[in-house]
Amino acid sequence: MLKTENLGKKYGDFSAVENLNLEVKEGSVFGFLGHNGAGKTTTISMLTTLILPTSGKAAIGGYDVVKDNLKVRNLIGYLPENVTLYGDLTAVENLRFFGRLSGVENVDARIEDTLKLLDFTDWKNRKVKTYSKGMRQRIGIAQAILHSPKILFLDEPTSGLDPQGTKELRDILLMLNQERGTTIFMNTHLLSEVTKLCTDIGIISKGRLLLADSIKNIEKEFPEEKSLEEIYFKIEGGK
Amino acid sequence: MMNGIMTLARKEVKTAFRDNIFLIVTGLFILLSVISVYIGSSTKNEELQAYQDIVQLLKGQGAATLPSPPAIYPLSVLGNIVSYVSMIGAVVAIFLGFESFSGERNNGTLKLIAARPVYRDQIVTGKLLGGGMVIGVLLGIILIFNLVLFTFVSGMTPGADEIIRLLGFFLLASVYMMVFYTATMYVSIKTNDSAFGFMLMMIIWLAISFVLPQLAESQRNFAYALNAASQTVTQVPSDTSVSKMIELFSPAVQFQNIGKDLLQVIPETSDIGIGALLLKQIGAIVEILIPGLAVLLLSYKAAQKEEVI
Repeated sequence: MLKTENLGKKYGDFSAVENLNLEVKEGSVFGFLGHNGAGKTTTISMLTTLILPTSGKAAIGGYDVVKDNLKVRNLIGYLPENVTLYGDLTAVENLRFFGRLSGVENVDARIEDTLKLLDFTDWKNRKVKTYSKGMRQRIGIAQAILHSPKILFLDEPTSGLDPQGTKELRDILLMLNQERGTTIFMNTHLLSEVTKLCTDIGIISKGRLLLADSIKNIEKEFPEEKSLEEIYFKIEGGK
Repeated sequence: MMNGIMTLARKEVKTAFRDNIFLIVTGLFILLSVISVYIGSSTKNEELQAYQDIVQLLKGQGAATLPSPPAIYPLSVLGNIVSYVSMIGAVVAIFLGFESFSGERNNGTLKLIAARPVYRDQIVTGKLLGGGMVIGVLLGIILIFNLVLFTFVSGMTPGADEIIRLLGFFLLASVYMMVFYTATMYVSIKTNDSAFGFMLMMIIWLAISFVLPQLAESQRNFAYALNAASQTVTQVPSDTSVSKMIELFSPAVQFQNIGKDLLQVIPETSDIGIGALLLKQIGAIVEILIPGLAVLLLSYKAAQKEEVI
């Protein structure tokens, strides 16, 4: 579904991401782990075609993120960190706008289905600025899945959510992955979320990928560590 | 391609008319323009009444010759609107555009738009079209209000020539406001700080609307005429090359010059036909268009840069 080859991004002399080689299989939930400033958001920005790589290449669904950027955008759904949407518009109006931009046909019917799926129909006609953070995040997910993307990119999706909101979001993502087969690529620095949600992980530090594999394989590779947290700190510390 | 642009434009219209601050400024704009028509119409009626009173008085005194009636240019009662559009219309356009990119960048929606199958120049075009639609609706409302009030207060019905002049003025007003909207959009693309962008545009507005015209005024030559009847001295200004040069940099002055001609505010030029008037003012029209086109091209170029997102 997603493949990068020596992908890199430089800002002047500073390398935000360096020689990133990554593969995410279709139907997996990939957790991209790293400290703040490790290069996670830069990576997701390149993969979602928002910024151009300065070296290497990346493809999603076989399409190059630079040469075929419009085709890539049809395949992806994206939820950035801390998005607030249009506060003066209702959930339905927000979704109608993003659905039309994505070229969704029968957009109102699709919005209704999506809101039902996310159990949000009761609040759909209220202005978004009246929503809690958790409700906004659910509408954020709704705009990202409205056009039935093959892969969903989420940047720190649980940031700022309370435990209840975090659990609800996790349940939604699991449902999307298991019932719709949506591949999920999630930036996070919360190890607890990764263990509950992800099938595969990658660990990035200072722009370099330290490790990428399925959680099962990683646990086999580090038999002495009792948890993913211990594995993470061992790899980070080793670096 | 057009779908994406229209979707963006419709969203701009919807969000503008849901923004309370924008609605307050717009309401003020409409209210002031309506008041200006009312005052203009009342003043005109008083002038006519004064003329009739004088005629009656002279007839009563058995005067052999009576003064000719004052020339009536019905549109001149709308003259104050030229100043209101020039001043407040520009501010409305700044209010409309100052968060067009920086606001979207700060609330994360610009990333959501850019991650969809639309090109960056479509985003700029969509916002431009949306801004144009809002300004068009706004001026349309003012036009209808003013026409109704004008007919009601003055008791005159505008003829075809007046309607053409009025439409010409509102087209010019749309272009003038769009210049400010586009310039504000450009600033909004270039800065993350909406408040800074707004302040910068307000400084530019002050310079264009007040500082440059006053500077130009200070460079004019003045002749003095003595009014023997009222025992007063009147200043008669005339342009110099320096004052004309300074005015070149103020679209507000150009707009006011064309607007006053279109609405027959200046008696000396009121009889010029619409075609001749446009020819006479072609230079001023170009001087309004050039800065607008320049900031538009700069906006398209700036929107391509990845740091915009």
